[in-house]
Amino acid sequence: MIRIELAKQARPRTFVALGALAGLTVALAVALELTGAGRAEPVGDIPLLLVPAASPFVLPLIALSSTMKFFLPLAVSVFAGEAVAGEARWGSLRYALGRGVSRSRFLAAKAAVAALLSLAAVLLVPLIALGAGLAMAGWQALPAVDGGASAAVRQAPAVFAPAAALGRLAVGTGYVGAGMTSVFAFAFFLSTVTARPLVAVAGGVGLTILSRVLNYDYLPGVAVLSPYLPNNDVDLWLHLFQEPARTAGMGSFLVLQAIYTGVFLALAWWWFTRRDVLS
Amino acid sequence: MAASAAADCPAVRIEGLVKRLPRGVTAIAGLDLVVERGQVVGLTGPNGCGKSMTLRVLLGLVRPTAGRALLFGEAVRPGAAVLGRVGALVDGPGFVPHLSGLENLRLAWRLTGRPAAEARLDAALAVAGLDVAIDRPYRTYSHGMRYRLGLAQALLGTPDLLLLDEPTTGLDPAHVREVRTAITGVAARGGTVLLSSHVMAEVEEVCTHAAFMREGRLVAAGSVAQLTGSRRSLEAAYLDLAG
Repeated sequence: MIRIELAKQARPRTFVALGALAGLTVALAVALELTGAGRAEPVGDIPLLLVPAASPFVLPLIALSSTMKFFLPLAVSVFAGEAVAGEARWGSLRYALGRGVSRSRFLAAKAAVAALLSLAAVLLVPLIALGAGLAMAGWQALPAVDGGASAAVRQAPAVFAPAAALGRLAVGTGYVGAGMTSVFAFAFFLSTVTARPLVAVAGGVGLTILSRVLNYDYLPGVAVLSPYLPNNDVDLWLHLFQEPARTAGMGSFLVLQAIYTGVFLALAWWWFTRRDVLS
Repeated sequence: MAASAAADCPAVRIEGLVKRLPRGVTAIAGLDLVVERGQVVGLTGPNGCGKSMTLRVLLGLVRPTAGRALLFGEAVRPGAAVLGRVGALVDGPGFVPHLSGLENLRLAWRLTGRPAAEARLDAALAVAGLDVAIDRPYRTYSHGMRYRLGLAQALLGTPDLLLLDEPTTGLDPAHVREVRTAITGVAARGGTVLLSSHVMAEVEEVCTHAAFMREGRLVAAGSVAQLTGSRRSLEAAYLDLAG
């Protein structure tokens, strides 16, 4: 059933979403090569100071951190939000289910394919960026400066050997991927409720934006909410590129993701196996 | 349930069916209906009388508020195995727009998990009559082409029960003729058809039996000859009994 659902998703929208992410990454690489090569770039909130073209790992870090707060959640929302609602809008949902297909199995196949496409989106960005980085800089170590310290006491850069940098990038990518699961589950749940895919996609993006807006960095008054918003701490993986690496907050972020994901996937299943199909 | 007992069960048995929708709308208000095997039954009534909703209940798409629906003796639930014996066209066709008609039919069948040979794809394609257009994306199809593909999809796997909602709406006369031939063809091999229609002449022509609905209830049912009685036509009977 997963192969059937994959065939249905082999459509322009899928290729546009993945193509746009790839294009964005390439554009970023070109822009940094043209304008920023040799100059230190701050990345993330720490901020890390990295020199593009000094190491192949700079580009993936910049690409991942600049897509993780909007473009990746958007792509994930598209894949998850379209999953069931798209079929309802086409009018094919009633025929798929009217053939006696188990609703649970149908939903599981839909979730699996949407998750596969979301995973492709998350992997695409750092892989393309790493490819571009390797083309520009070759297999080089990554020097990274903790830009959080004042300029006067700035330490010498921490230098990560290529293999170590690659390993930390892989962990960081996994962390960002895990950070997308809450958005995925929420958009997927909405997709089982509405027959309008756009509503489900907007819901996923909305959750991301809401969690950015209700952030203590911008609104100190809502600090009490901050730990429960699913997209706030998606950037903590950048701390892996400090020496020593800091992992504070990452564990609770992953637990939060697991809770959001579990709750909304369970709700999606509960609702979809009971709902009336009137579309 | 013993297989021998199931063999005697009517194709469709609806008992005390009630479906209330949110906001107080009652779509079906206590419907009893039996469709015996081999019958071609025309379900007719004014717009909004619950015809389509009844078909959706039979497909396991809508859960009844009260009462029950059985197909070949088996209670209908979402995912009920008996739905594998049913073909349907309800509220218009619905296909994946960027795939061709043929790919859509293949995918629809693969979803059932049954062997490809059982689909009888050739017979279904003959009904669709789409020729080379069968390989074009579905979104390029005209209204009539979409309907014929929907009918072909309903006929996949030579179903024992065919549920059709307004099957000839918007078709030109030649294709109306083909659809009616397909319906009588299903009946000729012992299959059962339950179709909803506004067109009394159509019910009179293709159906052995008719059932008149009004405001979610059955107001009259029987063979076309019984219902017509001494009146001029089935239409006159409908206007007398349900109009």
